[in-house]
Amino acid sequence: MRVSYEWLKELVDVPADPQELVDEFTRTGTEVEAIERMGAELDHVVVGQVASKEPHPNSDHMWLCKVDVGAQNLNGDGEPEPLQIVCGAQNFEQGDKIVVAMIGAVLPGDFRIKKSKLRGVESCGMNCSERELGLGDSHEGIMILPSDAPVGMPFAEYRGMADTVIDCEMTPNRPDCLSMAGVATEVGAMLDVDTHMTMPSIKQEHGVGPDGADDVSSLVDVQIDDPQLCPRYTARVVRNVKIGPSPEWLAKRVLAAGARPINNVVDVTNYVMFLTGQPLHAFDLGKLSERDGKRHIVVRSAREGEHLTTLDEQDRALTPDMLLITDDRERPVALAGVMGGLNSDIDEGTVDVLLESASFDSGSISRTSRNLGLMSEASIRYERQVDAASCADVSNIAAALFEQCCGAEVVRGMVDEYPLRKEVPAIVLRPDRVRAICGAPIEDEFMTKRLERLGCTVTPTDGQLSVVPPTNRPDLEREIDLVEEILRLWGEGDVEPTIPAARNHPGGLTEEQRRVRLIGSTLRACGLCETSTYCFADARDLARLGMAREVKGVPVRIIRPLVSEQSEMRRDLMPGLLRAVAYNKDHGVPNVKLYEIGRVLFGRENKSLPDEQTYVAGVLSGSWEDDSWNRKHLSLDFFDAKGVVEELLSALRIQKVRYRVPEPEHSAWLQPGLAAEVVVRGAVLGWVGNIHPQTLDLFGIDEPVVAFELSVEALQRLAQDQLPYEDVPTLPGVSVDLAIVVDEDMPYEQLVQRITSAGGKLLRDVRLFDVYRDPVRVGPGKKSMAFSLTYRSDDHTLTSKEVDKAHGRLVTKVMKSTGGEIRS
Amino acid sequence: MAMQDDLRAIEAQFTKSLANAQNMEALEKLRVSVLGKKGSLTSIMRMMGKIPPEERPAMGRLANTVRANVDEALKQRTTDLTKKALHERMQAEAADVTLPGRRISQGTQHLITQIREEIEDIFCGMGYIVADGPYVETTYYNFTALNAPENHPSRSAKDSFYVVDNAPEGKPPLQLGDSDVLLRTQTSGMQVHYMEENEPPIYMICPGTVFRPDTADANHLPQFTQVEGLVVDEGITFGDLKGTLDYFCREIFGKDRATRYRPHFFPFTEPSCEVDVSCGVCHGKGCRFCKNVGWLEILGCGMVDPNVFKYVGIDPEKYTGFAFGIGVERVAALRYDLPDLRMLMEGDMRFLRQF
Repeated sequence: MRVSYEWLKELVDVPADPQELVDEFTRTGTEVEAIERMGAELDHVVVGQVASKEPHPNSDHMWLCKVDVGAQNLNGDGEPEPLQIVCGAQNFEQGDKIVVAMIGAVLPGDFRIKKSKLRGVESCGMNCSERELGLGDSHEGIMILPSDAPVGMPFAEYRGMADTVIDCEMTPNRPDCLSMAGVATEVGAMLDVDTHMTMPSIKQEHGVGPDGADDVSSLVDVQIDDPQLCPRYTARVVRNVKIGPSPEWLAKRVLAAGARPINNVVDVTNYVMFLTGQPLHAFDLGKLSERDGKRHIVVRSAREGEHLTTLDEQDRALTPDMLLITDDRERPVALAGVMGGLNSDIDEGTVDVLLESASFDSGSISRTSRNLGLMSEASIRYERQVDAASCADVSNIAAALFEQCCGAEVVRGMVDEYPLRKEVPAIVLRPDRVRAICGAPIEDEFMTKRLERLGCTVTPTDGQLSVVPPTNRPDLEREIDLVEEILRLWGEGDVEPTIPAARNHPGGLTEEQRRVRLIGSTLRACGLCETSTYCFADARDLARLGMAREVKGVPVRIIRPLVSEQSEMRRDLMPGLLRAVAYNKDHGVPNVKLYEIGRVLFGRENKSLPDEQTYVAGVLSGSWEDDSWNRKHLSLDFFDAKGVVEELLSALRIQKVRYRVPEPEHSAWLQPGLAAEVVVRGAVLGWVGNIHPQTLDLFGIDEPVVAFELSVEALQRLAQDQLPYEDVPTLPGVSVDLAIVVDEDMPYEQLVQRITSAGGKLLRDVRLFDVYRDPVRVGPGKKSMAFSLTYRSDDHTLTSKEVDKAHGRLVTKVMKSTGGEIRS
Repeated sequence: MAMQDDLRAIEAQFTKSLANAQNMEALEKLRVSVLGKKGSLTSIMRMMGKIPPEERPAMGRLANTVRANVDEALKQRTTDLTKKALHERMQAEAADVTLPGRRISQGTQHLITQIREEIEDIFCGMGYIVADGPYVETTYYNFTALNAPENHPSRSAKDSFYVVDNAPEGKPPLQLGDSDVLLRTQTSGMQVHYMEENEPPIYMICPGTVFRPDTADANHLPQFTQVEGLVVDEGITFGDLKGTLDYFCREIFGKDRATRYRPHFFPFTEPSCEVDVSCGVCHGKGCRFCKNVGWLEILGCGMVDPNVFKYVGIDPEKYTGFAFGIGVERVAALRYDLPDLRMLMEGDMRFLRQF
């Protein structure tokens, strides 16, 4: 809403400085988007008076003038001093009032006024012609102003072109503020000042028919099909309009409000709409069909297949949910509340005008406007609800202006179909309740006064207030709505801040939330950086990974995705992380170590809502760090990723973890032989492994990537807060090394299990420290696995005899159970 | 007096050799040559019985003195040589301490998670709990129960991602987004879920991802993070809302930052306002960073609308409350003056490593 300050000044007492009002707007909840100074192109252009005029010493047609500009130019002592200006015009004399562009002015056409020399004489400005000021075509000479023009006054101010337009963003609950009158009322309440809104009235109404006995109802009737969609429709007729340009004051107001002046009739309807917030529509009465000597306006819904060419010359295909103004029911002549039809528009030939002032259902207008992609000043207002109660008053204002500005004769009377009258019920306002909700000592008088300024009727009853809001405030229905009005006018900024006690409410994170943080901090301690990827997915993502539909279910599909790569919700974190790896590699970052804790969504057949689960996943590629002067790094491989998983499970105190070779059909995205399922007590938590080179290829990655993905819900289920304390050993242990040669396919996990069960209670630790293969020394198809075994007793220091005995037994058992050999 | 001369000669010879003993081995060799079983001094001491008895006391004293001198000198020399050896070793070990250290590099936490956890901690400190809610919602929770009118523009398919409803049977025919199910456009729906499931007093925040159909560019992401807050208790005032959010703003932006409350409109709160924090660059004077306003908009809030209480069966006469919504990306962008929000979603190690 563009609020012209000059216009507002006529309606309410405002501060001299618009910035003061802007601050008040902000304080009370009207958002100011921009402040526009009209006439700014005439900055540094002032009224001057020719103090002296002498011939230019070096020219036979130029003049050397001293021009008095009052206080606009001061000498070193702060005294006004005339400007020396060289001028080539011939149409002025000493004593004339003229228009001076001083240094710093930028005239239309980006013509910058600077200090200059003309034929060797300094000139500090320019005397302007109309054309130079952009005011007309006259370039015969400079502009000569009437002799009463005040010297030194900015020219824009002198011409009444100076204005400040405050562009306000009105919140959707305030339809009243989409009008100058509404804004003036708001300003009155804001500043606690009086409004003075005097509206023009009709001077003379004319009868029609033989001997002028009939009124407008003999010319027009109105029929409304559905009062819900059109609670009120008024029609007035004015005759013998003289179409022409609007008077300057009218054109100026319309222009400041943001519309283009068209002709006096159209400008009046726009002006009145900007003034009152009630959209009006003027039909050319002569273009409406006549039956039985009357025009028949019918407000009805559009029919399937109907078309209307709107004023913007666009052909609009109509649908039955759109409301139309029709000519005798058959021919659409306007899209109700949105835009008029081209078939009944005002043009130079218009003589008689039918003026519509009506109220339409906001939802219907909003849908029509949105579905057609057609917004107008009218639809913006109807969308937010237009006050049906004031349709007739507004129609009268417009008729008065037609009379005043278009020479029209106003036909007596008004057709007023008002099938759906709404009462505004009184609201009970408890001042104590207001203070209790606001936590502020707002006095009763303040409440009464400001609500009255807003147009409410306030009646005190038994310590309470009975408040009837004005009809143009549909947002005021309940006590709380009034509380909001009172608080914003009193000042939210002045309410004393307090912090609630939260009594009987222990806060803090849950165990599960603390554990999610622990998962993150453990992975970061392992050197991984957290990232965040889109929850959207490409429909081809899972196929790229070869993940089975049986496992992942159906996707959550977006009906209107922004881009085809984000047409559904992800069912796995890996595609997003692999894209992040590719992004880094493409941007020359060799070492990528990322994790994400994120949600995945599994759609469910015959259920509206999906199953939402949280997963944690990581990707590693490159090496831990770049090599440095004192440390070299190997490429990250399967065991780096597995180490991270082991560390994470250990931080969560999850025990009895096993790593199982997955079925190839359930791990198509992993490289066979470098893939493992993470299993605890029979339940699969997730997986760790090298991403299959073919999968990497599909994501545009040409370097190995190791990764893992675990269900956070499963981790939560298995995590333990604490494990029992174990005594710290006080007695020394004895270490014995043991290298066993076994078949290549004997897994480590199995071998350790055999050793542990053979070791008896004295064996306390088994640590693999070497794996060695050599076809000659170890044998083909064999491997040597070297362990460091620690024997210890809790109650005495072991003798070498005891150790030898225990170790000997272990070796025998392990040889037997594994078929391995001791390597000496 | 030959013994006397011998003793003096031994001492003199020892003193001379001592000066030449440059390491511990040489010193030990010297000690053995004087004090060892076959050492020069040991041999003379053994001959003590062969000298006349009247000379023995004087000779004994002299021999003991020489022996004490030798012991003392050996001890001193040992200390000196140990010190010297240590000194040499340390000299050999000295390094260029300006060389880079051997770091064990930790990973970093994503900027948005950092700020989210910071916000969680601030509110946990004030006695709040942290709730979590679904990403996919019905229009009832995302709009209706939050008092959003049926025609509210935020319900349109232009402002919300609607998703395919796998169980549309029995629902009225739809127009808006062609479905009754959508990706939540705000975390505010959790207000309704939480109030349905919990009795007041309620002190709750709900951080989470939300979705809106904004094409990703420097200032927009189709997926971003909000933190919803809700307090419902007896006697909660607008002053409580201000005190809480003032505290929050100072904790998150700094003690020297001022706040400003601008009345605004939201369907689910009344009175409602937007909160600005004073610009950290110019402190309210106006600069490029705050677009010459001096203030930066950071959150929306208000007193819970009684209509919302009615949807969840809380008595609005007994309880009042406030709610707020904070944009986490907005906080991040303001704190770091981020040039492009898309960096938050790319996973670029060079970006992530900075925080």
